[in-house]
Amino acid sequence: MALPLPSGLVPSEVAFLCEMELVTVVPRQKLDSIDLLSGTTPTLRPPRRENLPLWLGLLLKKQRRANIVPPPWLHPDSLRAIIQHETKTDPTGWAPPPLPPTRADGRGNALRINTGEAGEPILSPPFLPSCTSSSPAGALPYHWFELAEMLLAHASDDIFDATEVRALLRDLQEVRAAKMRAIPAQLEAGVDGVMSLRGVGAMELAESRGLVMGVVEGVRKIGASAEAARREEEEERGEAGMDDEPSDDDMGL
Amino acid sequence: MSYYDVDAILTDGEKVPCTFEYDVPYLGHLDNSSSSGLKPGTALSLPLWLAEMLALASAGEDSKAPLTLNLPPCLSDAVVAALRADPRAVALRDQSVHLYGVGVRMLDLFDERELGAVLRRTFVVRAADVGLHARKADEGGIGGHQIEFLRGLEEWERNLFRRAHEGVKGAKEWADRVKKT
Repeated sequence: MALPLPSGLVPSEVAFLCEMELVTVVPRQKLDSIDLLSGTTPTLRPPRRENLPLWLGLLLKKQRRANIVPPPWLHPDSLRAIIQHETKTDPTGWAPPPLPPTRADGRGNALRINTGEAGEPILSPPFLPSCTSSSPAGALPYHWFELAEMLLAHASDDIFDATEVRALLRDLQEVRAAKMRAIPAQLEAGVDGVMSLRGVGAMELAESRGLVMGVVEGVRKIGASAEAARREEEEERGEAGMDDEPSDDDMGL
Repeated sequence: MSYYDVDAILTDGEKVPCTFEYDVPYLGHLDNSSSSGLKPGTALSLPLWLAEMLALASAGEDSKAPLTLNLPPCLSDAVVAALRADPRAVALRDQSVHLYGVGVRMLDLFDERELGAVLRRTFVVRAADVGLHARKADEGGIGGHQIEFLRGLEEWERNLFRRAHEGVKGAKEWADRVKKT
């Protein structure tokens, strides 16, 4: 096919997935619960706060029927702490993602409380409560960039000190992008060509996918002939010593 | 590399120096000099596809090929030493537009582990720079130093720059669009 469709998600698709995240909303008018595919929304009786999906929250905000509570990690102090972590504490990896909500059980254990209906823990981003008002400060969830941009665009009056937050977000983006660019060098130097991407954000992945995949491809092409020669040598060496090892065909019956 | 890959076709057209071993009667026009044949020992610059075919051809019993290939000047010892010292200081496009492509073909033909290692390290180091410039190219005006850097990029690196820049541009366009709606 000659269609140059990009591999992976484009930024607008990433933002669309981000809109599934739950945010805390302070309603200004009553609203009955709506049956959505992702579940029933809670009935809105002002001024009780409820968790709604982001797209619904933004819609109500635009209609001036609700205000959005910014998540705790979007506060300037929290962002400054994260920038500190990224620059000083850990210059190679990213700041760790927020821990899942846990509750103590009185015996000194902390149990997860985010299990789904099947009793298994939910691990993937739009379903983690990482953007509600109960999320921990000082850790960036997976969709931090898109959520921060959308809240700053539509709900900047709800965010504490929006200009400061904007400046800090830009700094954070630059620092993390620099780490992303250093990935191919780390892959070279590291063990086995595997490195941890723990804590990276969704939009950062979408931005850097082209560059990182391009570099990995280039390195693969350059090393292809050396790799082929190495494989041939290994095969020859393997044939010489094949009598001692059990072959895969022996079932051991 | 696929059959229709334009970069592969262009790489094939790069000239490499070869020496003829045999006396070839009617190919004198390749040397631009005589209408008579080519003597053994003539050094010529032939395109890679022709040189590769002739170098790998074997004439029956004797294992000697009609010509021997040498490394092109863009991959000479001087260039390799410069790359080993500082990959960022060498303007690769001035050496050869398809330096990495020709390098990969040479690695296929000769078993040069060192050259492979140097090429790989060069590629990775320059890729980090390409990523940085791709980001900076969007914000603010293009400085003179940047134009100089972009001009010296080889073809593979130019592709990398394009891909990196598109990624960053996409994210910025989305952010602007969100602000408008």
